[in-house]
Amino acid sequence: MIRNQKFNVPDGYSEKQLFDQLAGQYAIKQAPRVAGKLTLYDTFDWRLFNKSLILYSSGNRLILRKLKKSDTLHNIEFSRMPVFYWDLADGDFKKRLAPIIKMRALLKLVEVQTRSKPYNILNPDEKTVARLLFEEIRPAQGRRKPVLARHLWLKPIRGYPKYERRLAKNLKEAGLKLGTEKEFFFNVLALADSKPESYSAKVNIQLDPSMRSDQATKLILRFLLKVMRKNEAVFEKDLDTEILHDFRVAIRRTRSALAQIKNVFPARTTDRFKKDFAYIGKRSNALRDLDVYLLNQESYKRRLPAVLRDDIDLLFAHLHQSRANAFQHVLRGLNSGKYKKIMKDWETFLNKPPPGSAAAANAELPIIELARQRISKRFRGIVKTGSKILANTEDELLHALRIECKKLRYLMEFFANLFPRKKINALIAQLKNLQDNLGDFNDLCVQQEYLLNIATELPGSQQQLKKTLVAIGSLVETLNREKQTVRDAFARTFTDFAAPANQELFKELFAAKTGN
Amino acid sequence: MTTLALYSNKGGVGKTAAAVNLSYLSARTGTKTLICDLDPQGSATYYFRVKPKLKSGPKGFARGAKGVYKSVKGTDFENLDILPADFSLRKLDVLYSKFGNSKVRLKKMLCPFASEYRLIILDCPVTIGILAENILNAADHTLVPMIPTTLSVRTYRQLLAFCKKKKYDATRIYPFFSMVDRHKKMHKELMLSVSKNFKGVLKSFVPYLAQVEKMGIYRAPVSVFAPRSMASKSYQNLWSKVQSHILNPQD
Repeated sequence: MIRNQKFNVPDGYSEKQLFDQLAGQYAIKQAPRVAGKLTLYDTFDWRLFNKSLILYSSGNRLILRKLKKSDTLHNIEFSRMPVFYWDLADGDFKKRLAPIIKMRALLKLVEVQTRSKPYNILNPDEKTVARLLFEEIRPAQGRRKPVLARHLWLKPIRGYPKYERRLAKNLKEAGLKLGTEKEFFFNVLALADSKPESYSAKVNIQLDPSMRSDQATKLILRFLLKVMRKNEAVFEKDLDTEILHDFRVAIRRTRSALAQIKNVFPARTTDRFKKDFAYIGKRSNALRDLDVYLLNQESYKRRLPAVLRDDIDLLFAHLHQSRANAFQHVLRGLNSGKYKKIMKDWETFLNKPPPGSAAAANAELPIIELARQRISKRFRGIVKTGSKILANTEDELLHALRIECKKLRYLMEFFANLFPRKKINALIAQLKNLQDNLGDFNDLCVQQEYLLNIATELPGSQQQLKKTLVAIGSLVETLNREKQTVRDAFARTFTDFAAPANQELFKELFAAKTGN
Repeated sequence: MTTLALYSNKGGVGKTAAAVNLSYLSARTGTKTLICDLDPQGSATYYFRVKPKLKSGPKGFARGAKGVYKSVKGTDFENLDILPADFSLRKLDVLYSKFGNSKVRLKKMLCPFASEYRLIILDCPVTIGILAENILNAADHTLVPMIPTTLSVRTYRQLLAFCKKKKYDATRIYPFFSMVDRHKKMHKELMLSVSKNFKGVLKSFVPYLAQVEKMGIYRAPVSVFAPRSMASKSYQNLWSKVQSHILNPQD
C-alpha cells in the first residue's frame, strides 16, 4: 500500500535551503507551480462527516478520504462538480457514495486557496520515482494573506521504496515532523459557516425522567422547531428533495406530539396549533408527492418492459412541469404573513416559562410516567388492530394500522433517551420492520391511484398520449403485483412484531412502575 | 476486475501503442489500472520509463510467484501501475507447456490483482500458441488492432478459425482499425467490407500518425505530450467506444 506522508512545515522554515540540500543527492525536476482551491463538500445533514469521511475537490480532481486515516479512498477526475451521486460516472466512487448520501445534494462547505510547488525526483531514466510537494494553504487569495497551513508532501511511487525511505529520512533529519490529515481538515472545517453536527433531523433529545411533562414536551417541540427553521431557511435554494422532507417530518412530529402527549398544555393552545400545523403541512403535500415520483423515475422505468420505457417520458415531463408550480406554491406559503405569524406565535409559546399552577391535568406529571402511559397504550392498540387484520383482510385497516404505528414510532423516538438504549433500539427496529411493510403497501396503493388519476390530465398529441397510457397501464399492473407480494408478507411481519418476547420487552420498559 | 487484452497474431499493428494509451486514459478516469507488458521486447515498459525486470524471473511468472506482485511499479501517472516485461518472457510459451493447467496459468497469475485493480490491460506479443490460449483464457475481452490490408484481414481470419477450433468465444473479440491511411482508397474499401463481414468491429479507428511514433521519443502516452493532437483524439475516441461497447454496455 502506497502511503503519502505529510510533513508540517513550521513558520519561518526555509524551503530553499531544504531543496538545495536535496539537490546534492537527487535529480530533481521542478514542475510548474500550481495555484488551486481546495473545496470541502458534504450534505446538508453531514452524512459524509458522520461516517468519518471527507470529500473535497482540488483542481479537477475529486477526492474522498477517511478523516482519521491518511489513505485516499477514491480520487477521480471531474469536469463539473457533481451535485448528486447520480451525476458521477459509473464506477467505484459512485458505488461508495450512493448508499451514504442517497438523494442528498453535495453542498460546498468551505473553500481554501492552495499554492503548491511540485518537485519530481527522477532516476537516471528520467522516470519519476517519488514526488515532493510543497504546499501553502490560505483561507483567502493573495500571497501576503495569512497562511493556514504549510505542508511538504512526500508522495512515493510504487516499486521505488528505497527512494521513499531515503527521502523520508532526509526530511526528518532536516527537522520536519509528520502531520495528520485530521488536524488539517479540522482546521479547514473550522472556517466553514456551519459546524459539523449542527444539523441532524434525527430526534435526539436529552430528557430528565423526573422533569415536568409540560417542560419536557416543550423541549421536544423546540428541537423540532429548530429542524423546521433550518430547512425553511434554505428552502428557496431548492438544494434537494430532503430539505422539504425533513421540514415536513418535523411538522408531522410536532402535530403528533401535540396530539399524543395529552393534557400537558391548555386545550385551546393545543387545538389551535394542531390546526395551524395541519395547514402548513398540507400546503406542501403536492410538492412532496411529485418529488417522490421524480426521485423514482429510474425505478419506474426499470419496472416497464423495454419497449415501453421511452413512452413514459411524457408523464415525467409533465410531472417535472407540475413540480415547478408546486414549488412556487410552497415558497409563497413560507413567505406569507399567515405562516410567519403561526411560527412566531409558536416560538413565543415554546419559550414562555411554565405557569406556576398546572394549566392542564398532566402538566406536572414526571415525563417518564406519561411516556410509559402513552407508549403502552399505543402498543396495545397496534396489537389489537393487527390481530384484527390477520383475521380478515380489509385494506382500510392496514392504513389505520400504519398511522398507529407511526404515532408509536414518534413517541418512542421522542422519549428514547429515557429508556435503556439497547432495549428501546431493538424495539424500534422491530417496529420499523412492520412500518416498512405497511409503508410499502400504502405507497403502492397511493402510486396506483395517482397514476390512474394523472392519466386523465396529461397533455400531448393523440398518438403520443396513447402510447404513454399503455405504459402507465403496464406500470399499474406491475405495482398491483408488487402490492400483493407486500400484502402477503404482512402476516409474518406482524406476527414477529407481536411475538410474546417483544410484548414482554414492551411491558418491561413501559408498564407503569409503582413505588419509584 | 475486467481484463482487456490487446492482442494480434500479426506484428507491427499498433498493439503496444493502443495498450499504453488506453491504459493511460482509463487511469485518468480514476479507474485503478494495471498494464501488463507480456512482450519480451518490453516496449510498453520502455514507454513508461521502467526497467524491464521481473523479480520473479520467467519461471516465477509462469507459476504466479510472489515476486511477480513485488515487481509492479507505479508509472508517472496516478492510478496507473505497470507489471514490467522482462526479456526472459520469451520463454513463456515453453514454460507454460511444462506445467500442468498450462492454458490457464496467466489467468491464475492475475487473480491476486483483482482486489486492487479495476482494469487490467494485457499488452501481448505476437503469438498463436499456448501463450495465445493463456491470453484468451485470461482476458474478458480481446481487442485486435487491424491494419486495413489484405494480409491483416487474412491473419484475423486465421485467429477466428483458431478460436473456433479451440472453442474460444469469438464474440468477445473486437477488431478495430489501426494505422489507417485515409488517403488510400484500398484502406477505405477494406474497412467497409470488414465492418460488413465481421461481427464486433469497433466503430473507431486510429489513423497512421507521426505523433504515435513520437511516443518513443517522449516516452509517454500521446495524450500527455500532445493532448490536442489527432492521435490523442483518436485514442480518446477508441477509449470511449471501449467503455460504451465493452466495459459498460447499455443493455
